Amino acid sequence: MKEEEKNNENPLKVNRRHFFSQLSVGIGSLALGSLLIPDLFKGGGAQPLAQQPLGIPHFAPKAKRVIYLFQAGGPSQFESFDYKPTLKKRMGEDLPESIRNGQRLTGMTSGQDKFPLMPSATNFKQYGQSGAWVSDYFPHIAKIADEITVVKSMHTDAINHDPAITFFQTGSQISGRPSMGSWMSYGLGSENKNLPSFVVLTSRGKGNSQGLYSKLWSSGFLDSKHQGVMLRSGKNPVLYLNDPDGISRSDKRHLLNEVSQLNKMHHVETGDDEIESRIAQYEMAYRMQMSVPDVMDISKEPESIVKLYGEDCQVPGTFAANALQARRLAENGVRFIQLYHQGWDQHAKLPTAMANQAKDVDQASAALVMDLKQRGMLEDTLVVWGGEFGRTNFCQGKFDPKDFGRDHHPRAFSIWMAGGGIKPGLNYGKTDEFGYNIVENPVHVHDFHATIMHAMGLDHEQMTYKYQGRRFRLTDVAGNVIKDLLA
Amino acid sequence: MTRILKNRWVDYAILGLSVFLIFCLIFDAYIQLPNLVAWLGRWHPLILHFPIVLLLIAVFLGLTGKKVPDELLVVAVLSALVTAISGFFLGKETPVKGDLLYWHQWLGGGVALVASLWYVLANRGLSGTMYTKMLQVVMVGLVVVTGHYGGMVTHGEEFLALPTNKKEKEIPENPVIYADVVTTILDDKCVSCHNPNKKKGVLLMTNLEELLKGGESGQTLIPGDPIKSQLISRLHLPTEDEEHMPPEGKAPLTQNEIEILERWVALGASDTLRFSQLPESEPLVALIKGLKEPDAESKWASLPVVADSTLKNLSNDYLTIERMAANSNALSIDVFSPPEYIAAPIIAMNRIAANIVELDLSGLPIGSAEMDFVAKCQNLEWLEVDKTPVTDAEVEKLENLKNLRLLKIYETPVTDKSISVFKQLGSLKSLYVWNTKLSNEALENLKNENSGLVINLGIDPEIETFFVARDSVAVAK
Repeated sequence: MKEEEKNNENPLKVNRRHFFSQLSVGIGSLALGSLLIPDLFKGGGAQPLAQQPLGIPHFAPKAKRVIYLFQAGGPSQFESFDYKPTLKKRMGEDLPESIRNGQRLTGMTSGQDKFPLMPSATNFKQYGQSGAWVSDYFPHIAKIADEITVVKSMHTDAINHDPAITFFQTGSQISGRPSMGSWMSYGLGSENKNLPSFVVLTSRGKGNSQGLYSKLWSSGFLDSKHQGVMLRSGKNPVLYLNDPDGISRSDKRHLLNEVSQLNKMHHVETGDDEIESRIAQYEMAYRMQMSVPDVMDISKEPESIVKLYGEDCQVPGTFAANALQARRLAENGVRFIQLYHQGWDQHAKLPTAMANQAKDVDQASAALVMDLKQRGMLEDTLVVWGGEFGRTNFCQGKFDPKDFGRDHHPRAFSIWMAGGGIKPGLNYGKTDEFGYNIVENPVHVHDFHATIMHAMGLDHEQMTYKYQGRRFRLTDVAGNVIKDLLA
Repeated sequence: MTRILKNRWVDYAILGLSVFLIFCLIFDAYIQLPNLVAWLGRWHPLILHFPIVLLLIAVFLGLTGKKVPDELLVVAVLSALVTAISGFFLGKETPVKGDLLYWHQWLGGGVALVASLWYVLANRGLSGTMYTKMLQVVMVGLVVVTGHYGGMVTHGEEFLALPTNKKEKEIPENPVIYADVVTTILDDKCVSCHNPNKKKGVLLMTNLEELLKGGESGQTLIPGDPIKSQLISRLHLPTEDEEHMPPEGKAPLTQNEIEILERWVALGASDTLRFSQLPESEPLVALIKGLKEPDAESKWASLPVVADSTLKNLSNDYLTIERMAANSNALSIDVFSPPEYIAAPIIAMNRIAANIVELDLSGLPIGSAEMDFVAKCQNLEWLEVDKTPVTDAEVEKLENLKNLRLLKIYETPVTDKSISVFKQLGSLKSLYVWNTKLSNEALENLKNENSGLVINLGIDPEIETFFVARDSVAVAK
């Protein structure tokens, strides 16, 4: 505590804003304070702004961790969860202007003079007691329909990949804000001190892919220890984590102790809190040298689990392998596990490409839910599956029901969630008969964030971070918790 | 001991005020106050503190045989009179005085008049006599009782009642929405001001007729229209708003309570509607179900206080202790597998055993010493001992965990002998027991005794077969 106070007094930590805000309060309270309590200024000094205790949920959480299976590129709702027979009946007809209602288009379809309605490339059936409609592309997810809740009324503000995915991850279309996982790490702390609280795993399907950048799991203005740590497939899951040959673990310990002392001295000199993060990161890396190989080693998984996730799960770098990895990380107390599967951007060749994409993720996604369920982890782990936006109900390019594309559509799309305080077997929200607009229970990206935070025991309005003169939230100035989704 | 207060003006003032007070009390029903005078009544809550303190000091001095200073007595008596009169003015704001206010008024008048009598006695040089002493004793009683009634008028009758063990009204199986749910909320949060004694804003919230009648600012309750009903709209105003209810300083309604009132009004504010008549999709169903289950945080409120420093000392790189929520003393413990396992850090948590509600020991080579510790965690609700070598002998130690809601004990060598222990866990809702030596018959038997229990035996074989067989996706047509 003493050292902390000393650090807070470091003159380099006072910037112009602090100076003036403290000055104005200072002079006034000095005058008043010295009148009333003569000893007021003899010691102690002002405490830093009252802060919300960190590392503790605001209220008892339903979910302790999140596994977010992000389907990057924008999977089509018409070939997954939003069944629209009208599109078949009115196949080829132009999308009525009353429905499109001024919706902006991307540069890829804005040149089209016609917007012919395109029915689903595959068939739908109803499954489970919930009667959820699921397309034939997703037989395994269909099989577990009663475990999941499909939200068919998601909508977003962005229409292109980068802003849309940034919006989903950080609550803002413009990059620079902390990622969802970073906010959770900041607000809830780490469950296991030997692993980062926010881990990222990526995989790529054969379909048309868009870039993924590490800014999506950046901690933004939050302390860099909350940044997502990407685990790679292959020999070195974390780059530069392993010691060079010939360095023993005790040598390493010795080195770290010395470095840490130097860093502490530097911290006292400059007052830069990032130095403390650096010290913490070195220690984390040291512990991860032990913990990561252990958690990444799936060779001990029994045959039945391998079969459940599909044979793919033994091939490092596949979605199936990552899904199985996600369960292992969740078991080991990682707070936020973010998977990305690329390749869902079907502007053309949708029927084949989408079937392939679905094949990559369908079994493993469903297997993950069932595996978590048998371990009782669905009671406190929230699984989310979805992309950054949906796709248009009309055809992009040449009209050919066997080989067509769909453009980006932000006004309505489908995602699903399971476990972690979310009601199972619910079909939430409704789109119109064209699947273009939401007619019931819209869920905005901000609402989605607020709801997930609520499940994690955090009040999205209370968890703020002051930066550049104002307080920021994951949901910024919007968002409502969707109570109907909560169990 | 004879002493006569010389100042005649003091005599006149006390006499005058006493007469005025008696007049007020007697002709209460005929008096109508001008606005400005009524406003003087608002000072009552401020000045009432003076006579209480001054009179008690004076009585203390008198009864202990010390001399009561003249000035003290004069100020005490005058303040008692002024307080009583201002209190009478304030009371006029309440159109119909209830029992509490009636008693408070007469007792308060009594205090002031007895104080005047004391002044007269003192003036006559009877300070040390038996009469004065008796009067002083009566005075103490009057002050206490008057103050008590006054407190109840302001803060509600329950305010000074002894804290009973959360006298939460039990919600019956099929509650009448109005009588069993709505009135509980109103009694809890509104009635302390809107009762026959106080009747703030000329509004009574003690029964449905009065709610429908409304108060001075119009319609409180319009069945079917929560937006226009002030009962609801005022709850939604920002807390800084003057009109917001309950006013600053009083306990606000929870989000759940607001939603319940809102849905009740939207559904027509019926006083006969029952829970069973609601369709499953009605939000009120979930809201009331939520009320029936005690929420976790209030359940944990009585746990012993545990300091952050204790938690810090007990945790290590492989043992994480977290509070279940901010300001909660309920703890969640996660123990991860260290390179070299030792039991000591787990056993060391003995001193916080009562605080632990969630404990994760899965995958650790635990034995009977750790399970002895677990048995001491009386408030445990969630226990993970899966993938451990625990046997029936260790499971036996769990039989007293009456709050245990979830038990993960899959991939362990437990056998049917443990069933009798599981049967004793009355709160158990989820049990994970696949890959154990438990027989299906024994589990069936357990299920018969605890119908609310969900037993997880691993992935449904039908789903598993489907997953194993169908490692492919329908090809696009």
